[in-house]
Amino acid sequence: MIARLAVAIVAAWALAACAVPQNRRARFADPMMKPYEDDLNAARRQKLYDTREGAAGGDGTPAGGGCGCQ
Amino acid sequence: MTPAVRLRRVLAVSVIVASTLARGSAAAEPPISDGLGDREILGARPNKFRIESVSTRITAFDQYGKGYQSQAGPLLGPGDERATILEPQLDVVATQGKRLSHRITLPVDVVTSASADAIDKHRRPPDVISSASRQNIAGTVDWSATYRVDPATDIVARSGLHLEEPFRSVHAGLSTSHELGEGDAVFSAGVLEVFDWFDRFDITGHHVGRADRLSSTATLGFTKILTTTTLANVNYGITLQNGELGNTWNVVPLSPHALGPELLPGKRIRHALVARMSQFLPWNGALHLYYRFYDDDWGIAAHSVELELAQRLFPVLYVKGTYRFHHQAGASFFTTLASPDLLYRTADSDLAPLDARTFGVMLVFDVPIDTEVKSLHVDIAYERYLRSNDLQMNVVTCGTGFRF
Repeated sequence: MIARLAVAIVAAWALAACAVPQNRRARFADPMMKPYEDDLNAARRQKLYDTREGAAGGDGTPAGGGCGCQ
Repeated sequence: MTPAVRLRRVLAVSVIVASTLARGSAAAEPPISDGLGDREILGARPNKFRIESVSTRITAFDQYGKGYQSQAGPLLGPGDERATILEPQLDVVATQGKRLSHRITLPVDVVTSASADAIDKHRRPPDVISSASRQNIAGTVDWSATYRVDPATDIVARSGLHLEEPFRSVHAGLSTSHELGEGDAVFSAGVLEVFDWFDRFDITGHHVGRADRLSSTATLGFTKILTTTTLANVNYGITLQNGELGNTWNVVPLSPHALGPELLPGKRIRHALVARMSQFLPWNGALHLYYRFYDDDWGIAAHSVELELAQRLFPVLYVKGTYRFHHQAGASFFTTLASPDLLYRTADSDLAPLDARTFGVMLVFDVPIDTEVKSLHVDIAYERYLRSNDLQMNVVTCGTGFRF
Protein backbone atom coordinates (compact mmCIF):
# COMPACT_ATOMS: atom_id res chain seq x y z
CA MET A 1 0.00 0.00 0.00
CA ILE A 2 2.76 2.45 0.98
CA ALA A 3 4.73 1.51 -2.15
CA ARG A 4 1.69 2.17 -4.34
CA LEU A 5 1.12 5.49 -2.63
CA ALA A 6 4.78 6.41 -3.15
CA VAL A 7 4.54 5.49 -6.84
CA ALA A 8 1.39 7.61 -7.17
CA ILE A 9 3.07 10.58 -5.50
CA VAL A 10 6.19 10.26 -7.66
CA ALA A 11 4.04 9.96 -10.79
CA ALA A 12 2.07 13.04 -9.76
CA TRP A 13 5.25 15.02 -9.21
CA ALA A 14 6.64 13.81 -12.54
CA LEU A 15 3.46 14.95 -14.25
CA ALA A 16 3.61 18.25 -12.45
CA ALA A 17 7.16 18.74 -13.67
CA CYS A 18 6.05 18.56 -17.33
CA ALA A 19 4.65 22.06 -17.41
CA VAL A 20 2.54 23.41 -20.27
CA PRO A 21 3.49 27.11 -20.61
CA GLN A 22 0.79 29.64 -19.83
CA ASN A 23 0.86 31.07 -23.34
CA ARG A 24 -0.16 27.69 -24.75
CA ARG A 25 -3.30 27.20 -22.66
CA ALA A 26 -5.71 29.24 -24.79
CA ARG A 27 -7.96 26.22 -25.42
CA PHE A 28 -8.76 25.94 -21.71
CA ALA A 29 -10.34 29.41 -21.74
CA ASP A 30 -13.17 28.08 -23.90
CA PRO A 31 -16.25 27.49 -21.70
CA MET A 32 -16.77 24.15 -23.46
CA MET A 33 -13.52 22.92 -21.89
CA LYS A 34 -14.56 23.46 -18.28
CA PRO A 35 -13.91 20.13 -16.60
CA TYR A 36 -16.81 20.76 -14.21
CA GLU A 37 -20.28 22.01 -14.96
CA ASP A 38 -21.37 25.31 -13.51
CA ASP A 39 -22.02 24.99 -9.79
CA LEU A 40 -25.80 25.08 -9.92
CA ASN A 41 -26.08 22.51 -12.67
CA ALA A 42 -23.57 20.25 -10.95
CA ALA A 43 -25.45 20.59 -7.64
CA ARG A 44 -28.83 19.69 -9.07
CA ARG A 45 -27.40 16.69 -10.96
CA GLN A 46 -25.53 15.56 -7.86
CA LYS A 47 -28.72 15.73 -5.85
CA LEU A 48 -30.62 13.73 -8.44
CA TYR A 49 -28.11 10.90 -8.16
CA ASP A 50 -27.56 11.23 -4.40
CA THR A 51 -31.24 10.70 -3.66
CA ARG A 52 -31.84 7.88 -6.13
CA GLU A 53 -28.69 5.80 -6.03
CA GLY A 54 -27.35 4.21 -2.89
CA ALA A 55 -23.84 4.48 -4.29
CA ALA A 56 -23.76 8.26 -4.10
CA GLY A 57 -21.59 10.17 -1.67
CA GLY A 58 -18.12 9.44 -0.44
CA ASP A 59 -16.67 12.19 -2.58
CA GLY A 60 -17.10 15.36 -0.61
CA THR A 61 -20.83 15.72 -1.11
CA PRO A 62 -23.40 14.96 1.57
CA ALA A 63 -24.28 11.30 1.10
CA GLY A 64 -27.81 10.27 0.30
CA GLY A 65 -29.23 6.93 -0.63
CA GLY A 66 -32.63 6.00 0.54
CA CYS A 67 -34.45 8.76 2.25
CA GLY A 68 -34.63 11.31 -0.52
CA CYS A 69 -34.36 14.03 2.06
CA GLN A 70 -31.15 15.97 2.35
CA MET B 1 51.50 65.20 -28.53
CA THR B 2 50.11 66.61 -31.72
CA PRO B 3 47.34 69.27 -31.60
CA ALA B 4 44.87 66.79 -33.10
CA VAL B 5 45.48 64.22 -30.38
CA ARG B 6 45.23 66.94 -27.68
CA LEU B 7 41.91 68.09 -29.14
CA ARG B 8 40.55 64.50 -29.14
CA ARG B 9 41.51 64.09 -25.44
CA VAL B 10 39.84 67.36 -24.48
CA LEU B 11 36.66 66.33 -26.31
CA ALA B 12 36.64 62.92 -24.63
CA VAL B 13 37.05 64.43 -21.16
CA SER B 14 34.29 66.98 -21.92
CA VAL B 15 31.89 64.23 -22.96
CA ILE B 16 32.59 62.23 -19.79
CA VAL B 17 32.17 65.32 -17.55
CA ALA B 18 28.94 66.30 -19.34
CA SER B 19 27.45 62.84 -19.07
CA THR B 20 28.37 62.63 -15.37
CA LEU B 21 26.73 66.01 -14.69
CA ALA B 22 23.64 64.98 -16.62
CA ARG B 23 23.39 61.75 -14.61
CA GLY B 24 23.82 63.70 -11.40
CA SER B 25 21.08 66.16 -12.26
CA ALA B 26 18.75 63.32 -13.24
CA ALA B 27 19.46 61.60 -9.93
CA ALA B 28 18.57 64.78 -8.13
CA GLU B 29 15.11 64.82 -9.63
CA PRO B 30 12.40 62.80 -7.88
CA PRO B 31 11.76 59.45 -9.54
CA ILE B 32 8.80 59.56 -11.88
CA SER B 33 7.16 56.60 -10.15
CA ASP B 34 7.15 58.23 -6.69
CA GLY B 35 3.58 59.01 -5.78
CA LEU B 36 2.27 57.30 -8.94
CA GLY B 37 2.14 53.62 -8.07
CA ASP B 38 -0.44 51.13 -9.30
CA ARG B 39 -2.76 52.20 -6.51
CA GLU B 40 -2.69 55.88 -7.59
CA ILE B 41 -2.96 55.18 -11.32
CA LEU B 42 -5.62 52.45 -11.18
CA GLY B 43 -7.33 53.51 -7.99
CA ALA B 44 -7.27 51.65 -4.70
CA ARG B 45 -9.26 48.44 -4.77
CA PRO B 46 -11.95 48.96 -2.20
CA ASN B 47 -12.38 46.41 0.55
CA LYS B 48 -16.12 46.44 -0.08
CA PHE B 49 -18.14 43.65 -1.57
CA ARG B 50 -18.20 43.59 -5.31
CA ILE B 51 -20.63 41.26 -7.06
CA GLU B 52 -18.73 39.26 -9.69
CA SER B 53 -21.53 37.06 -10.97
CA VAL B 54 -25.15 36.13 -10.36
CA SER B 55 -26.55 32.87 -11.67
CA THR B 56 -30.01 31.38 -11.46
CA ARG B 57 -31.38 28.03 -12.45
CA ILE B 58 -34.79 26.45 -12.35
CA THR B 59 -35.25 22.72 -12.76
CA ALA B 60 -38.38 20.60 -12.98
CA PHE B 61 -38.25 16.87 -12.19
CA ASP B 62 -41.11 14.59 -13.14
CA GLN B 63 -40.69 11.14 -11.58
CA TYR B 64 -42.59 7.90 -12.12
CA GLY B 65 -41.89 4.52 -10.63
CA LYS B 66 -42.41 2.02 -7.88
CA GLY B 67 -40.44 0.85 -4.87
CA TYR B 68 -40.94 -1.71 -2.12
CA GLN B 69 -40.17 0.85 0.60
CA SER B 70 -43.31 2.82 -0.33
CA GLN B 71 -46.71 2.10 1.25
CA ALA B 72 -48.62 3.67 -1.63
CA GLY B 73 -49.68 0.38 -3.17
CA PRO B 74 -50.44 -3.24 -2.36
CA LEU B 75 -49.48 -4.49 1.11
CA LEU B 76 -46.42 -6.34 -0.09
CA GLY B 77 -45.59 -3.64 -2.59
CA PRO B 78 -44.21 -2.22 -4.65
CA GLY B 79 -45.68 1.17 -3.82
CA ASP B 80 -45.79 4.28 -5.93
CA GLU B 81 -42.85 6.69 -6.08
CA ARG B 82 -44.56 9.33 -8.17
CA ALA B 83 -43.24 12.80 -7.41
CA THR B 84 -42.74 16.14 -9.05
CA ILE B 85 -40.07 18.54 -7.88
CA LEU B 86 -39.51 22.17 -8.76
CA GLU B 87 -36.08 23.42 -7.81
CA PRO B 88 -35.13 27.10 -8.15
CA GLN B 89 -31.48 27.91 -7.36
CA LEU B 90 -29.48 31.10 -6.90
CA ASP B 91 -25.70 31.49 -6.88
CA VAL B 92 -23.89 34.75 -6.13
CA VAL B 93 -20.12 35.25 -6.25
CA ALA B 94 -18.64 38.38 -4.66
CA THR B 95 -15.14 39.60 -3.93
CA GLN B 96 -14.07 41.47 -0.82
CA GLY B 97 -10.70 43.05 -1.55
CA LYS B 98 -7.86 41.30 -3.29
CA ARG B 99 -7.71 38.10 -1.29
CA LEU B 100 -11.21 37.23 -0.18
CA SER B 101 -14.11 36.00 -2.28
CA HIS B 102 -17.49 34.57 -1.31
CA ARG B 103 -19.93 32.23 -2.97
CA ILE B 104 -23.47 31.92 -1.66
CA THR B 105 -25.75 29.26 -3.08
CA LEU B 106 -29.47 29.00 -2.32
CA PRO B 107 -31.25 25.96 -3.69
CA VAL B 108 -34.92 25.53 -2.83
CA ASP B 109 -36.92 22.36 -3.50
CA VAL B 110 -40.68 22.32 -3.81
CA VAL B 111 -41.43 18.62 -3.63
CA THR B 112 -44.79 16.95 -3.99
CA SER B 113 -44.96 14.27 -1.39
CA ALA B 114 -41.35 13.14 -1.20
CA SER B 115 -41.10 13.81 2.49
CA ALA B 116 -43.11 13.11 5.59
CA ASP B 117 -44.48 16.60 5.94
CA ALA B 118 -46.84 16.71 8.92
CA ILE B 119 -47.47 12.99 8.87
CA ASP B 120 -47.69 12.98 12.66
CA LYS B 121 -50.56 15.45 12.62
CA HIS B 122 -52.60 13.45 10.14
CA ARG B 123 -51.80 10.04 11.65
CA ARG B 124 -51.49 8.38 8.31
CA PRO B 125 -48.89 5.94 7.12
CA PRO B 126 -46.00 7.94 5.69
CA ASP B 127 -45.18 7.27 2.10
CA VAL B 128 -44.03 9.20 -0.85
CA ILE B 129 -47.49 10.01 -2.22
CA SER B 130 -49.82 10.05 0.76
CA SER B 131 -52.16 13.00 1.15
CA ALA B 132 -50.49 13.73 4.47
CA SER B 133 -47.30 14.67 2.66
CA ARG B 134 -48.72 16.30 -0.41
CA GLN B 135 -46.13 19.01 -0.65
CA ASN B 136 -42.93 19.92 1.09
CA ILE B 137 -40.58 22.86 0.74
CA ALA B 138 -36.89 22.45 1.49
CA GLY B 139 -34.22 25.11 1.39
CA THR B 140 -30.45 25.28 1.75
CA VAL B 141 -27.99 28.10 2.30
CA ASP B 142 -24.41 27.27 1.42
CA TRP B 143 -21.61 29.81 1.93
CA SER B 144 -18.01 29.33 0.77
CA ALA B 145 -15.37 31.93 1.62
CA THR B 146 -12.10 31.63 -0.30
CA TYR B 147 -8.96 33.28 1.04
CA ARG B 148 -5.98 33.63 -1.29
CA VAL B 149 -2.95 33.03 0.91
CA ASP B 150 -0.52 33.63 -1.93
CA PRO B 151 -0.81 33.51 -5.73
CA ALA B 152 -0.62 29.71 -5.62
CA THR B 153 -2.60 28.80 -2.52
CA ASP B 154 -6.27 29.14 -1.62
CA ILE B 155 -8.08 28.19 1.57
CA VAL B 156 -11.84 27.70 1.44
CA ALA B 157 -14.13 27.69 4.47
CA ARG B 158 -17.58 26.31 3.75
CA SER B 159 -20.66 26.22 5.89
CA GLY B 160 -24.38 25.86 5.40
CA LEU B 161 -27.79 24.98 6.69
CA HIS B 162 -30.60 22.88 5.27
CA LEU B 163 -34.20 23.02 6.45
CA GLU B 164 -37.26 20.98 5.60
CA GLU B 165 -40.32 19.93 7.55
CA PRO B 166 -39.03 16.94 9.57
CA PHE B 167 -35.35 17.40 8.82
CA ARG B 168 -32.52 19.82 9.72
CA SER B 169 -28.94 19.68 8.60
CA VAL B 170 -25.83 21.79 9.10
CA HIS B 171 -22.50 21.36 7.37
CA ALA B 172 -19.08 22.92 7.69
CA GLY B 173 -15.82 22.22 5.93
CA LEU B 174 -12.35 23.41 5.17
CA SER B 175 -10.38 22.83 1.99
CA THR B 176 -7.24 24.05 0.35
CA SER B 177 -5.74 24.03 -3.12
CA HIS B 178 -2.18 24.65 -4.15
CA GLU B 179 -0.87 25.32 -7.66
CA LEU B 180 2.38 23.72 -8.70
CA GLY B 181 4.84 24.69 -11.40
CA GLU B 182 3.39 27.39 -13.62
CA GLY B 183 -0.11 26.78 -12.39
CA ASP B 184 -0.81 23.83 -14.66
CA ALA B 185 -1.10 21.38 -11.78
CA VAL B 186 -3.24 21.77 -8.68
CA PHE B 187 -3.34 19.66 -5.51
CA SER B 188 -6.44 19.97 -3.39
CA ALA B 189 -7.55 18.52 -0.06
CA GLY B 190 -10.57 19.07 2.09
CA VAL B 191 -12.73 17.91 4.97
CA LEU B 192 -16.49 18.28 5.37
CA GLU B 193 -18.67 17.55 8.37
CA VAL B 194 -22.45 17.13 8.00
CA PHE B 195 -24.78 16.80 10.97
CA ASP B 196 -28.43 15.87 10.34
CA TRP B 197 -31.17 15.68 12.91
CA PHE B 198 -34.75 14.82 12.14
CA ASP B 199 -38.04 13.55 13.52
CA ARG B 200 -38.33 9.82 13.94
CA PHE B 201 -41.61 8.27 12.77
CA ASP B 202 -42.75 4.71 12.94
CA ILE B 203 -44.21 3.07 9.86
CA THR B 204 -47.74 4.01 10.89
CA GLY B 205 -46.88 7.70 10.88
CA HIS B 206 -46.52 8.31 14.62
CA HIS B 207 -43.83 10.60 15.90
CA VAL B 208 -41.48 8.70 18.19
CA GLY B 209 -38.76 11.18 19.04
CA ARG B 210 -35.68 12.42 17.28
CA ALA B 211 -32.83 10.87 15.39
CA ASP B 212 -29.53 12.16 14.07
CA ARG B 213 -26.50 11.21 12.04
CA LEU B 214 -23.02 12.54 11.48
CA SER B 215 -21.15 12.28 8.18
CA SER B 216 -17.44 13.06 7.98
CA THR B 217 -15.77 13.31 4.58
CA ALA B 218 -12.15 13.77 3.55
CA THR B 219 -11.07 14.33 -0.05
CA LEU B 220 -7.84 14.54 -2.01
CA GLY B 221 -7.60 15.78 -5.58
CA PHE B 222 -5.05 16.38 -8.30
CA THR B 223 -5.68 18.30 -11.52
CA LYS B 224 -3.13 18.59 -14.32
CA ILE B 225 -2.92 20.15 -17.76
CA LEU B 226 -1.37 17.27 -19.68
CA THR B 227 -1.03 18.87 -23.12
CA THR B 228 -2.13 22.12 -24.73
CA THR B 229 -5.57 20.53 -25.30
CA THR B 230 -5.91 17.93 -22.52
CA LEU B 231 -6.85 18.32 -18.88
CA ALA B 232 -7.06 15.49 -16.33
CA ASN B 233 -8.34 15.28 -12.78
CA VAL B 234 -8.33 12.55 -10.13
CA ASN B 235 -10.20 12.68 -6.81
CA TYR B 236 -10.50 10.32 -3.89
CA GLY B 237 -12.98 10.71 -1.07
CA ILE B 238 -13.90 8.77 2.03
CA THR B 239 -17.04 9.31 4.11
CA LEU B 240 -17.70 7.87 7.56
CA GLN B 241 -21.32 7.94 8.73
CA ASN B 242 -22.71 7.28 12.19
CA GLY B 243 -26.23 7.39 13.56
CA GLU B 244 -29.65 6.80 12.01
CA LEU B 245 -28.87 6.20 8.33
CA GLY B 246 -32.43 5.81 7.06
CA ASN B 247 -35.50 8.02 7.08
CA THR B 248 -37.15 5.85 9.82
CA TRP B 249 -40.48 5.33 8.02
CA ASN B 250 -39.42 3.14 5.09
CA VAL B 251 -41.09 -0.26 5.19
CA VAL B 252 -39.97 -3.77 4.34
CA PRO B 253 -42.44 -6.47 3.27
CA LEU B 254 -42.22 -9.32 5.78
CA SER B 255 -43.37 -12.86 5.46
CA PRO B 256 -46.07 -13.78 6.17
CA HIS B 257 -48.03 -10.81 4.73
CA ALA B 258 -46.99 -7.99 7.01
CA LEU B 259 -44.87 -4.88 6.89
CA GLY B 260 -41.97 -4.09 9.18
CA PRO B 261 -39.61 -1.17 9.60
CA GLU B 262 -36.36 -0.90 7.74
CA LEU B 263 -33.38 -1.99 9.88
CA LEU B 264 -30.04 -0.48 8.90
CA PRO B 265 -26.56 -0.61 10.45
CA GLY B 266 -25.61 2.45 12.48
CA LYS B 267 -22.32 2.93 10.64
CA ARG B 268 -21.25 3.18 7.05
CA ILE B 269 -17.85 3.74 5.41
CA ARG B 270 -17.95 4.90 1.79
CA HIS B 271 -15.08 5.29 -0.68
CA ALA B 272 -15.25 7.03 -4.05
CA LEU B 273 -12.54 7.41 -6.68
CA VAL B 274 -13.22 9.75 -9.60
CA ALA B 275 -11.21 10.34 -12.78
CA ARG B 276 -12.06 13.04 -15.31
CA MET B 277 -10.51 14.03 -18.61
CA SER B 278 -11.31 16.93 -20.93
CA GLN B 279 -10.00 16.99 -24.49
CA PHE B 280 -10.36 19.87 -26.94
CA LEU B 281 -11.26 18.57 -30.39
CA PRO B 282 -9.84 20.04 -33.62
CA TRP B 283 -13.29 20.75 -35.10
CA ASN B 284 -14.06 23.22 -32.30
CA GLY B 285 -15.56 20.70 -29.96
CA ALA B 286 -14.72 19.19 -26.59
CA LEU B 287 -14.90 15.70 -25.14
CA HIS B 288 -15.36 15.09 -21.42
CA LEU B 289 -14.91 11.63 -19.93
CA TYR B 290 -15.83 10.73 -16.36
CA TYR B 291 -15.40 7.53 -14.42
CA ARG B 292 -16.32 6.90 -10.78
CA PHE B 293 -15.72 3.83 -8.67
CA TYR B 294 -17.60 3.50 -5.41
CA ASP B 295 -17.39 0.95 -2.63
CA ASP B 296 -18.87 0.78 0.87
CA ASP B 297 -19.17 -1.64 3.77
CA TRP B 298 -22.90 -2.27 3.15
CA GLY B 299 -21.89 -4.33 0.12
CA ILE B 300 -22.60 -1.70 -2.52
CA ALA B 301 -19.97 -1.42 -5.24
CA ALA B 302 -20.68 0.79 -8.21
CA HIS B 303 -19.21 1.98 -11.48
CA SER B 304 -20.38 5.13 -13.21
CA VAL B 305 -19.21 6.22 -16.66
CA GLU B 306 -20.17 9.47 -18.31
CA LEU B 307 -19.36 10.79 -21.75
CA GLU B 308 -20.12 14.34 -22.80
CA LEU B 309 -19.53 15.76 -26.27
CA ALA B 310 -19.71 19.50 -26.87
CA GLN B 311 -19.76 21.14 -30.28
CA ARG B 312 -19.59 24.85 -30.97
CA LEU B 313 -22.12 25.81 -33.64
CA PHE B 314 -21.65 29.60 -33.60
CA PRO B 315 -19.23 31.86 -31.69
CA VAL B 316 -21.86 32.36 -28.97
CA LEU B 317 -23.62 29.00 -29.09
CA TYR B 318 -22.64 25.42 -28.43
CA VAL B 319 -24.53 22.20 -27.88
CA LYS B 320 -23.71 19.35 -25.45
CA GLY B 321 -24.84 15.77 -25.53
CA THR B 322 -24.45 13.58 -22.42
CA TYR B 323 -24.71 9.88 -21.74
CA ARG B 324 -24.21 8.37 -18.28
CA PHE B 325 -24.31 4.73 -17.27
CA HIS B 326 -24.38 3.65 -13.63
CA HIS B 327 -24.22 0.11 -12.34
CA GLN B 328 -24.41 -0.78 -8.66
CA ALA B 329 -24.51 -3.98 -6.68
CA GLY B 330 -27.19 -3.83 -4.01
CA ALA B 331 -26.70 -3.67 -0.27
CA SER B 332 -26.03 -7.12 1.15
CA PHE B 333 -29.23 -6.93 3.24
CA PHE B 334 -31.52 -5.68 0.47
CA THR B 335 -34.67 -7.76 0.06
CA THR B 336 -38.20 -7.38 -1.23
CA LEU B 337 -39.54 -10.00 1.20
CA ALA B 338 -37.67 -10.28 4.48
CA SER B 339 -37.66 -12.78 7.25
CA PRO B 340 -38.73 -11.07 10.55
CA ASP B 341 -35.62 -12.26 12.38
CA LEU B 342 -33.09 -10.57 10.11
CA LEU B 343 -30.68 -8.24 11.90
CA TYR B 344 -30.62 -5.78 8.98
CA ARG B 345 -33.10 -5.40 6.16
CA THR B 346 -34.12 -2.84 3.57
CA ALA B 347 -36.44 -2.80 0.59
CA ASP B 348 -35.37 0.66 -0.48
CA SER B 349 -35.15 0.64 -4.26
CA ASP B 350 -32.20 3.06 -4.09
CA LEU B 351 -30.15 0.39 -2.30
CA ALA B 352 -31.12 -2.40 -4.72
CA PRO B 353 -28.86 -3.79 -7.43
CA LEU B 354 -29.61 -1.58 -10.41
CA ASP B 355 -28.47 -0.04 -13.66
CA ALA B 356 -29.28 3.57 -14.44
CA ARG B 357 -28.91 5.51 -17.67
CA THR B 358 -29.10 9.23 -18.28
CA PHE B 359 -29.43 10.83 -21.70
CA GLY B 360 -29.19 14.57 -21.98
CA VAL B 361 -28.86 17.44 -24.41
CA MET B 362 -28.07 21.06 -23.56
CA LEU B 363 -27.92 24.28 -25.58
CA VAL B 364 -25.58 26.93 -24.17
CA PHE B 365 -25.40 30.61 -25.11
CA ASP B 366 -22.42 32.63 -23.86
CA VAL B 367 -22.80 36.19 -25.13
CA PRO B 368 -20.09 38.77 -24.42
CA ILE B 369 -21.54 42.20 -23.68
CA ASP B 370 -19.48 45.37 -23.65
CA THR B 371 -21.25 47.16 -20.83
CA GLU B 372 -21.24 46.88 -17.05
CA VAL B 373 -22.32 43.31 -17.61
CA LYS B 374 -19.36 41.55 -19.16
CA SER B 375 -21.18 38.45 -20.32
CA LEU B 376 -24.54 36.76 -20.34
CA HIS B 377 -25.00 33.02 -20.04
CA VAL B 378 -28.21 31.15 -20.90
CA ASP B 379 -28.64 27.40 -21.13
CA ILE B 380 -31.54 25.03 -21.48
CA ALA B 381 -31.37 21.26 -21.14
CA TYR B 382 -33.48 18.13 -21.16
CA GLU B 383 -32.48 14.88 -19.46
CA ARG B 384 -34.09 11.49 -19.26
CA TYR B 385 -33.18 9.25 -16.32
CA LEU B 386 -34.04 5.57 -16.52
CA ARG B 387 -33.44 3.05 -13.74
CA SER B 388 -33.67 -0.69 -14.29
CA ASN B 389 -35.82 -1.25 -11.16
CA ASP B 390 -38.81 0.75 -12.32
CA LEU B 391 -37.97 4.39 -11.86
CA GLN B 392 -37.82 7.00 -14.56
CA MET B 393 -37.65 10.73 -14.64
CA ASN B 394 -37.86 13.62 -17.07
CA VAL B 395 -35.77 16.64 -16.16
CA VAL B 396 -35.94 20.10 -17.74
CA THR B 397 -33.56 22.78 -16.55
CA CYS B 398 -32.87 26.36 -17.56
CA GLY B 399 -29.98 28.48 -16.28
CA THR B 400 -29.01 32.12 -16.63
CA GLY B 401 -25.88 33.91 -15.51
CA PHE B 402 -24.55 37.44 -15.50
CA ARG B 403 -20.85 38.16 -15.08
CA PHE B 404 -20.01 41.73 -14.07
